[in-house]
Amino acid sequence: MNDTAKTGPSASSRRHLLRLFERYALLLVWVIIIALFSAAMPSSFFSWGNFSIMFASYAPAALLALAIIVPLTAGDYDLSVGATLTLSASTIGVLNVWHQMPILLVLLIVILMGVVVGLVHALFIIYFRVPSLVVTLGSTSVMSGLVQWMTNSSTIGGIDNSLIMAAVGYRLFGIPYAFYYAILAALIMWYIFDYMPLGRRLLFVGRGREVARLNGISVDKVRLGALIMSAVLSSAAGILYAGVLGSADPYSGLNFLLPAFAAAFLGATTIQPGRFNPWGAIVAVYFLATGITGLSMLGIPLWVTNVFNGGALILAVTISQITRGREASDIG
Amino acid sequence: MKKSVLLASLTSAAALLCLAAPSFADDAADGLARAKANIAKYQSKPQFTAPGEPFDAKSCAKGKKMLSIPNNSGNPFLKGIIDRMKTAGAEVGLEVREWENQGQPSQWVQGVEMATREKYNIIDLISGIDPGTIEPQLKAAKEAGVKVMTSHFYDPSFKQNPVVSSSLTIGFGEIGTILADWSAVATEGKANIALVISKEVPPTIPLVENFKKQLAANCPTCKIVQEINVGVTEWGTKIQPAVQSAVQAHPEINVVIPIYDSMSQFVIPALRLAGKTGQVKVATFNGTPFVLDYIQQGLADMDIGESLDWIAYATVDGHLRDACGLKTPTALNVPFYIFDKSNAAEAGTPAKFDTGYGDAYKAGFRKLWGIQ
Repeated sequence: MNDTAKTGPSASSRRHLLRLFERYALLLVWVIIIALFSAAMPSSFFSWGNFSIMFASYAPAALLALAIIVPLTAGDYDLSVGATLTLSASTIGVLNVWHQMPILLVLLIVILMGVVVGLVHALFIIYFRVPSLVVTLGSTSVMSGLVQWMTNSSTIGGIDNSLIMAAVGYRLFGIPYAFYYAILAALIMWYIFDYMPLGRRLLFVGRGREVARLNGISVDKVRLGALIMSAVLSSAAGILYAGVLGSADPYSGLNFLLPAFAAAFLGATTIQPGRFNPWGAIVAVYFLATGITGLSMLGIPLWVTNVFNGGALILAVTISQITRGREASDIG
Repeated sequence: MKKSVLLASLTSAAALLCLAAPSFADDAADGLARAKANIAKYQSKPQFTAPGEPFDAKSCAKGKKMLSIPNNSGNPFLKGIIDRMKTAGAEVGLEVREWENQGQPSQWVQGVEMATREKYNIIDLISGIDPGTIEPQLKAAKEAGVKVMTSHFYDPSFKQNPVVSSSLTIGFGEIGTILADWSAVATEGKANIALVISKEVPPTIPLVENFKKQLAANCPTCKIVQEINVGVTEWGTKIQPAVQSAVQAHPEINVVIPIYDSMSQFVIPALRLAGKTGQVKVATFNGTPFVLDYIQQGLADMDIGESLDWIAYATVDGHLRDACGLKTPTALNVPFYIFDKSNAAEAGTPAKFDTGYGDAYKAGFRKLWGIQ
């Protein structure tokens, strides 16, 4: 009995330390790789200019990672975020450049388009009860086709300069505004997730729909909201992407899907381990971005970055599982 | 004694250096002059050169049909060529049909089988389909009497697949030489280059090889600071960060060459973010309209283009000659044309495919075909 009394608090404090380590492990690794790259390239890598550019150019990816974690928290997959981003950027190109529509009106249309995409997803996922994986995979293909049709498979350059300026032209502390939009989105999301009943409901729905329903939560409404939010955020990521590039490209946005998912899952191992969380997703995006930037600067072939992305994801999730004593994961 | 030997040696070494220094300078100046002369060839409006003897194209084309299979029908460049081939073919009575596909080899196979079944005379593999990928089907087509031809795919240095009857090659190596010479001239022999390439695309090999050879020959003081290899499917996610990193890590870079101009949509924002727009020159190849717009806006500096319509006429001409047993040209012979800030507006605002190259070829081909 005495033994138990002795080991109890020490085991609990060890567990507490482990949890603390788990919470900040990714941040720690991030700092370490920054230190390593900075030591290797003190003048070029370790400069504010380098970081400010990195922060801005990965802002669309950060927004996309945030878009993914909303339905993931509610237990649904949205594989169409890359296609929605592409649809949004291409629509900006077609309407603004080819049809000369004012940029503000175009942005409004694009956001509304995000709402429509979310509603269509919800119709099939919630009303017809088709698995979200199937619906969003199908809609990815539909949207890709539509984009090729409306852009004639061409890149559209010459997007309104005010959008480019709003994304990468104006700077605060040397960092283009694009970064702050992503941070603002994370801030709002964090507040909703952590301090509003809506965030709790979202989490409950994701952890167990039946239990949530029995507790009086309107599960369908919460899932509907999550799917709309995801599509709207993806559209916003498309706006940011068009602003960063200054053009609309009918293909490349689709490639953001896997890195965004990697960031979402990697982010769920940090800050609030075991839960998809906005700050974790942001940290994960910029952790991966730091790795890619550093490796590119060292002149290492770019296939290494794929290995880095995938390796970092598997390793981080594995470490997280080990620190939690290999208990069943809450995610995926 | 020792002293005098030492002095004599030093004096002769100094004399040699004095003799050699102007010679290095001369070499450099000669190299630049050669580079200038080479790019000047591509700065004047393209002239038509007959690819062969005149022939009666109408009687040759009578009753013949050609199936054109592009690498991917989603590619506006290829789609544009085939649409124009239909028009050019119609002038002499050659039926041209496109096999619409989304870049999947299984779809190319279906096209070849359809052409064999429906007794087409020509299968034209245009820009990107390696005959080796679908060799068994092409062999079957050949045995059934369909002639397999390629256009705008092989570099003259490539070995043609035995199943292919004739190929209208395009000088990707020549593109490499133009890009190298342009970089040398634009920087007065002080080019520090970041080269953005896709090794998986076959034309990249001769293009880059010739780029390096030409740079070494005409501008020994120029150098390739970093070579960035990005797979086609990853252009959107990797070119921008890689170029940003390159110009940050190597501030001496003053020229970025994305060898295919669709890459430049990711290079331009990278330079903009790094605050290098205007300081770092961008030169590229393909003549895609949005890149010509970039030149007009001062975001890019040079793009080597070719006229789609000219390619279409040259392809119909070359393939008809082969189909009728005439001597077939080995190259497309479509001249390259340099667009820079002095003439980018000639391509239209916004720029269009096919605008700005003149139309000397139309009358030329019609005369050759005996229809004018």
